[in-house]
Amino acid sequence: MAIRFLNPKETESVRSYLNGDPEFKLASRYVLTNILLEVGNSRCVVKVREGQVSELAANPVFFDACSFFVRGSEDAWNKFLQPVPPPFYNGLFSAAIRQNFQIGGNLEDAFSYFWALTRMLDVFRELQNK
Amino acid sequence: MARFESVTGKYVYLDVQGVEYRVYFEENGRGIPLVCQHTAGSDGRQWRHLMNDIDVTSLYRVVAFDLPYHGKSLPPESVEWWKEEYMLHKSFLFDFHTEFIRALGLERPVYIGCSMGGHLAPDLALERPDAYQAVIGVEGNICSPEDPMRMWMYHPKISNDFRMHTMMSMMGPGSPEKYRRETVWEYGQGAPFAFRGDLHYYFAEHDLTGKTDQIDTSRVGVYLMAGEYDAAVSPVEGRALADSIKGAKFTELKGLGHFAMCENYGLFKTYLMPVLKEIAGKP
Repeated sequence: MAIRFLNPKETESVRSYLNGDPEFKLASRYVLTNILLEVGNSRCVVKVREGQVSELAANPVFFDACSFFVRGSEDAWNKFLQPVPPPFYNGLFSAAIRQNFQIGGNLEDAFSYFWALTRMLDVFRELQNK
Repeated sequence: MARFESVTGKYVYLDVQGVEYRVYFEENGRGIPLVCQHTAGSDGRQWRHLMNDIDVTSLYRVVAFDLPYHGKSLPPESVEWWKEEYMLHKSFLFDFHTEFIRALGLERPVYIGCSMGGHLAPDLALERPDAYQAVIGVEGNICSPEDPMRMWMYHPKISNDFRMHTMMSMMGPGSPEKYRRETVWEYGQGAPFAFRGDLHYYFAEHDLTGKTDQIDTSRVGVYLMAGEYDAAVSPVEGRALADSIKGAKFTELKGLGHFAMCENYGLFKTYLMPVLKEIAGKP
């Protein structure tokens, strides 16, 4: 399954879809951070600025610094992004405590912004299955 | 015409381990007392669907309290609680339940609890076998090894928002969104430190390793359940607990997560009613 948020050709449509989500807008309105998503060997950085994704950088370079990351194998992400995910892939926290995903970097930021982060991933699932 | 529920709420003063607590509880129904224990960091509102179900309340007097420091049960007046770290201990839970049963005059009550309350079910069966005629443990485990995530459940820079949205992912994806959101709403309302303090019992004090074969199900019935989507206690772990207790019965809660009674009561009821009827002797 081609993961849409990693595809450079879909960057703008993914960003626009996410920015149109009312819950993400609410959850991220005080958020100022860069989030690294790692899917196997592929990566992208999501830059969130006060209720909006200002940039979604697929294939980031060294100056796309991030505060924290969410890391999982391609298989784990594919399970997570299914319309009805299997147990322990249905949410970031449950996947993390079962060690299917890793959350790392600045955990104070990751956990302070957890609502925005989890909503973003839920929107990615929604978009993946449209 | 206004719509009222038949659920009533009141306060009872309980003396537990030498401290007086003003404890809020709600109840509804007639019959065998069914005492409901909420999860760590939440309160008795989790049982509102069960408490409003006439199929249950025609057989059971359903009673759900808020533990002290939770919901409408304030911290005790006689303790300077702001000078000491809140931590829930197993001995307090035992003594609290004993005193609650005594104060309400409950005869041969049945216990149901989830998560922390699910852990408490086999603990009560082992160490207080005469307190309840049967215990129903939802999401109970033999032992839950300490999880570093617990330390993040209270942090001065991290709000209740975090607890809400961690718990959101512990429920079945098919559970109605409005009830999943209601479940986490309650996590948004707890005292910031209560959840982590409750988890002291969950992680550090609850450990039935090597002890479950001492539980005598001829004295207290033991019914255990675990949700397919519960990352804290999976059906594999829930079944292992049940298999280690001679005479215990296990039900896998397909499609449900960590908060069966409040995330999707309609589905939970299909698993719970046979157990409640069996205990009530009404097959």
